[in-house]
Amino acid sequence: MNRRDAMQRVAFLMGGALSAPTMIAMLEGCTSNTATEATTSSFSFSPDYKNLVSEIAEIIIPKTSTPGAKDAGVGPFIEVMLKDCYMPAQQEHFKKGLDALEEASKKENGKKFLESTPEQQTALLKKFEQMANDEVRENSQPKKIVDNETGLIKDPKDPNPKKGEEAKQVAPPVPFFKLMKELTLLGYFTSEVGAKNALAYVAIPGRYDGCVKMTPGQKVWAL
Amino acid sequence: MNIQGKAKEQMTYDAIVVGSGISGGWAAKELCEKGLKVLMLERGRDIKHVTGYETAGKNPWDFPHRGKVDNMAREEYWANVRTGYTANEEHRHHFENDKKNPYLEKRGFDWIRGYHVGGRSLMWGRQSYRWNERDFTANLEDGHGIDWPIRYKDLAPWYSYVETFIGVSGYKEGLDVLPDGNFQPGMEMNCVEKEIRNSVQKKFNGRHVTIGRTAHLTAPTQIQTELGRASCQYQNACMRGCQFGAYFSTQSATLPAANKTGNLTLMADKIVYEVIFDDEKGKAVGVKTIDQNTKEQMDFFSKIIFLNASAINSAWILMQSKSKTHANGLGNESDQLGRNIMDHHLSVGASGTFEGMEDMYYYGRRANGVYIPRFTNWGSDKKRDFVRGFGYQGGASREGWGRGNYKEGFGADFKESITTPGPWTFGIGGFGETLPDENNRFTLSDKKDSWGLPIVEFDAAWGENALKMRIDMMNEAAEMLEAAGLKNINAYNNLTPNPGIGIHEMGTARMGRDKKTSVLNANNQVWGAPNVFVTDGAAMVSASCVNPSLTYMALTARAADFAVKELKKMNL
Repeated sequence: MNRRDAMQRVAFLMGGALSAPTMIAMLEGCTSNTATEATTSSFSFSPDYKNLVSEIAEIIIPKTSTPGAKDAGVGPFIEVMLKDCYMPAQQEHFKKGLDALEEASKKENGKKFLESTPEQQTALLKKFEQMANDEVRENSQPKKIVDNETGLIKDPKDPNPKKGEEAKQVAPPVPFFKLMKELTLLGYFTSEVGAKNALAYVAIPGRYDGCVKMTPGQKVWAL
Repeated sequence: MNIQGKAKEQMTYDAIVVGSGISGGWAAKELCEKGLKVLMLERGRDIKHVTGYETAGKNPWDFPHRGKVDNMAREEYWANVRTGYTANEEHRHHFENDKKNPYLEKRGFDWIRGYHVGGRSLMWGRQSYRWNERDFTANLEDGHGIDWPIRYKDLAPWYSYVETFIGVSGYKEGLDVLPDGNFQPGMEMNCVEKEIRNSVQKKFNGRHVTIGRTAHLTAPTQIQTELGRASCQYQNACMRGCQFGAYFSTQSATLPAANKTGNLTLMADKIVYEVIFDDEKGKAVGVKTIDQNTKEQMDFFSKIIFLNASAINSAWILMQSKSKTHANGLGNESDQLGRNIMDHHLSVGASGTFEGMEDMYYYGRRANGVYIPRFTNWGSDKKRDFVRGFGYQGGASREGWGRGNYKEGFGADFKESITTPGPWTFGIGGFGETLPDENNRFTLSDKKDSWGLPIVEFDAAWGENALKMRIDMMNEAAEMLEAAGLKNINAYNNLTPNPGIGIHEMGTARMGRDKKTSVLNANNQVWGAPNVFVTDGAAMVSASCVNPSLTYMALTARAADFAVKELKKMNL
């Protein structure tokens, strides 16, 4: 099921009422792998990586006139999410992404990521965003399957996998930077400082007005 | 357990209602108000109105996973995760732990339950539509299933009665296909929805776009205010339970009304698994229960019994109620018990972006959308290669910060760009009618649950008619969106979900005119056990394409009225 389908499905079951961000918040992230492995994990970041993740989050959502990712505690949030909501394969993939970032930083800039200049950091993360996009594209390519008996190449999209079988295929892990960004946005915009300062948050609206003229500087509704 | 004399007297009531959800709450209210001493038995835990809503009023940041499903929950709520929303952190505790309450699937079935006081009335979609006249004659017209033993006119006064009490907001449209009811003011459409309403109605003869008719108060009546209910506050967090009692649930409406009479006894944690049938008297005398925590067995006795345990569980109880007279399960001479499972098929439709209205927005979170009533095989509609029809539910909104996930970049400008309202998007998804089919059924497996009771095993699939209908559901949606000027249209027909996904299970103990082909008569009495009534989704003979709960409520109020009259005439 693609994202749009999922969004539509949820929207209509609930009366089409959910705003797009709510739907995305509900459906993204924790849906990358199916639960076939142990559900408890001892996942954690090293002190260095805790710091690194918090700083990358701050580069994605920096403090401006409104608080940034660090103010919203996004670093620790990402660690909790990876531990509780993701399977070991995804956790490993994420850690490897951090390893690769440090390696690339040393190779290209001769120092650790956090010791590099802001320009160097930005350039490197842009590169990692590109790599993540490539990885997504690669993952969405139908894999060629060679039939053991006939030696013929089977089109995996065609022979109608029987119900339930699609679910058994293990989804490839979400690329490091993509997940880093998704969790940063989720962690920030659903945090108290993010929702109340960067967005428009009203806990109990009390009424519904369907057609309202936007005011200058109108922020998007947090919910 | 064998109880004599006084002890048995203490276990005896005028009426027993099994289940406390939408229809059980109605049965209890009606019977109590008519003066009967009623025992309402609920298999799950108690959830008190307002104080029992653990997550109501919480902010997004109050949830450690911000609403998402964690690994533990994904394993325990293995059926719920299939819906994409019921296992989420903010309202998961109102849905059933599938590991503790397992079921089996010969063919896939998505069974989404709510075992607690209030049942699924706490988390229902609240969309409330009357059936139309042809919904009651559809089976007769095209030969699928059996004829309904009642017609629209039999239920119309009860629809009015129910609507007046629960409070349904909506617009009167004067359409045969979607009869108007006794409405409170309908919620407003947003700018884009209004535009689309106009263009669809102008460009497509016989098609209409109205606001969803939903069981939310918009102008509470005195009766509703006296029950402690207030107007909708537009939080859109309904499934957590509403602190304002703004949407209809057992807790907000029927339970306080029943309690007011002083005639109601509510017992939670009591799993009813059998109706006790007395072969000599030719009627039921009580029910057998097992406590979900202590496993203590208790029997309760009454003159009449209402089964409102949900379509599957009411039939499950009847199946286990075997006697000399009813060797194949109570009222099951026809072997129709557990068969003809119907639902609504969905996950098909289209969405797109709307250009313009960039300076317009909305205020408040309206837990409702727009509704496009059925137009296929209706009036002058062209010939289709399927029977019956579908409606659409949908809505327009402006994209929020979530679009940042699909937008390249990061940093200050990126942050700024996703905190302003994004493009308008509009989408509609179909709700299609399914046909009664004897081969879509559930049975009792040999496996037992932790109370030693038989586990349900489903064997059902979408029919050929539904699969054909879906093609038109997708294409018509895309065509309407295109005609309304939307861009980037994405049409979809997702076949992954199993029957049950609509959470509208129906038909497992259907009404009918003949005990050879049905389980219940025209008054919802079990054939051969006239003091047992089934008035939940099990009773349905066909499915219509509109959300069914309003019809369950109307059937229940009608049957309760009949039952009390019969009781007074000493006929039961």
